[in-house]
Amino acid sequence: MRVLVVEDEAVLRDTLKMRLAEAGFTVDVASDGNEGLFAGQEYPLDVAVVDLGLPGLSGLELIRRLRAARKTYPILILTARDNWQDKVEGLQAGADDYVAKPFHFEEVLARLQALLRRAGGWASAQLKCGPIVLDTRAQTITVAGAAVELTTFEYRILEHLMLRAGDVISKTELTERLYDQDFERDSNVIEVLVGRLRRKLDPQDQLRPIETLRGRGYRFALPRDAAS
Amino acid sequence: MHSLSRRLLVSVSLPLALFFGVMMLVLDNGFRALTERSLQEVLDSEMVSLIAAAEPQPGGGYAPAPHALDPRMETPHSGFYAQIRSQRHQWRSPSTAGLDADFGDLLAQGERNLVYATFGHDRVAIESRAIQFEDDPNVTRELTFSVAVSRSPYEEQLWRFRQELVGWFIALMLALLVTLAALLQWVLAPMRRMEREIHEVEEGRSETLGAGYPRELAGVASNLNALLVGERKRVARYRDTLGNLAHSLKTPLAVMRASLPGQQAAGAVSTEIDRMSGIIEHQLKRAAASGGALLGQAPVDVAQVAAELRVALLKVYADKDLSIELAVAAGTQFIGDRGDLTELLGNLLDNACKWCRSRVRLGAALVVGAGLRERLSLVVEDDGPGISAQDRARVLERGVRADEKVPGHGLGLSMVRDTVDMYGGWLGIDSSPFGGARFSLRLPGSERSL
Repeated sequence: MRVLVVEDEAVLRDTLKMRLAEAGFTVDVASDGNEGLFAGQEYPLDVAVVDLGLPGLSGLELIRRLRAARKTYPILILTARDNWQDKVEGLQAGADDYVAKPFHFEEVLARLQALLRRAGGWASAQLKCGPIVLDTRAQTITVAGAAVELTTFEYRILEHLMLRAGDVISKTELTERLYDQDFERDSNVIEVLVGRLRRKLDPQDQLRPIETLRGRGYRFALPRDAAS
Repeated sequence: MHSLSRRLLVSVSLPLALFFGVMMLVLDNGFRALTERSLQEVLDSEMVSLIAAAEPQPGGGYAPAPHALDPRMETPHSGFYAQIRSQRHQWRSPSTAGLDADFGDLLAQGERNLVYATFGHDRVAIESRAIQFEDDPNVTRELTFSVAVSRSPYEEQLWRFRQELVGWFIALMLALLVTLAALLQWVLAPMRRMEREIHEVEEGRSETLGAGYPRELAGVASNLNALLVGERKRVARYRDTLGNLAHSLKTPLAVMRASLPGQQAAGAVSTEIDRMSGIIEHQLKRAAASGGALLGQAPVDVAQVAAELRVALLKVYADKDLSIELAVAAGTQFIGDRGDLTELLGNLLDNACKWCRSRVRLGAALVVGAGLRERLSLVVEDDGPGISAQDRARVLERGVRADEKVPGHGLGLSMVRDTVDMYGGWLGIDSSPFGGARFSLRLPGSERSL
């Protein structure tokens, strides 16, 4: 999952970047509104964290412009002015949730994960597709009740595919979500990772959870459980 | 007496009545003197012609010569009567026929008098003179001539005069008072307008007083306007400063928390950071709440604020399968600051969304007949577990510090309580028919004129 953090306070920005990376996110950062607008429009993001009190372009204006540019990924507001007028304005401008400063990182993370789930059409923190269950909070995978150990990259790819289960996702998109923009890309890495995922999730080759669509990308093929 | 126009009317009508009263007495006296003098003149001239017409009679005594008498003396009950009387003889005019006419006693030599008497139903004035004829020196002829004239015509005249006088004076006085009242209406109209406009500002229907006041009031009006505008600007600046202060205090707190190593993040320092943040939040919000001291602000449409909050909360609580029902009567307005109302309803609805199972309801209506400060009724209820009786009391208690919050019902509710207090409103908590807590508020409100 690729997240953009727009925060002018260096310590907060760095801490968020570090902790989000630890939690499995690919993190882009911006220190003012204009930088945030550029990153928000140019990078293939899954979610953004925007501080309302930004220098240059205000957080509200940034959100409005991103929405005007048809960027539909969820946006989480960070605000020190914790009053309802500002929250309502932020949510009306196009944000999806807010966290008041000084925040606990765990809360920011929980809100981000919830936003991502919702954006993927999932109602609960557990993504269930047949026997495969991915818990976004615990970052664990079980297949028919048995735990499966995944590497960070494998988990990120599976989470991305499952969050958007049913959608076709290109290799480029997956690559972008794994690495920062300055990382040297190699689409073979994705093929290797997907191959490893298939073997770990489906050793007997019966479920066939990940479909390959030649020239277009991958699709998580198992249907979502109705209850989730 | 607490009305300028009534004071003026009373203080003008009293001297006016006194003046008219005295005028009436003076005129009445003058007219009476006039009628009495003309009665006297008639009596005198009748007396002179009677004396001139008197002739000795063969049988003794005197009587007027035939045809020399005033014809009115010949007609009975004509109002003109005469008598010539001596010791042994007496002549009376034919007009006295059938009347019990008493002209009084004989007078001594040289006497004359004027008396009032009643002949039958006729009130008369009688003039008598003692006269001695000396045409026959052997016989002393001491005679008393009396002439009586009815006073009725004069009294009638006087009565009519008085009626007219009183009638005219009353009419005149009423006309004067009506004119005065109309003048007062005109003169005091700007003051009434000012009163009305101040009321409108108070109810938030207009922002300032209008222009075009007369010179004497223009100063007051413009000073009041300057005060209103200045106050509004001051509060806006004040809030801005407080908002910036909150921002600049909390960002360092966030940095402090972020700088804590992993293990300590849940420890004592983190708890203190929470406390400090809570205190900043509470105190600054309390300071920023205007509490309705802001005059002339446009009233706030409750339905609009509620709808905005509903959309926002449905976004925030997207994970929870809840419904937020709004039952806001059309045209319901809050008199006060929009931010305050948003804060109040935001906190209450957020609280309800947090605790509810699936239903949250906001009701808003105007209470007919309630005072301005308690006209708007707001009710927020949910189907959650509700608030226990002790906790209710604690939420409503005055002076509970922000950091001694009721478990589970945080800063939000004490903020709500403080804001309601500032507006002079009323806040109560009980149980909702849905099963959860019900918060009932009364705040200043008005109806939007359609």
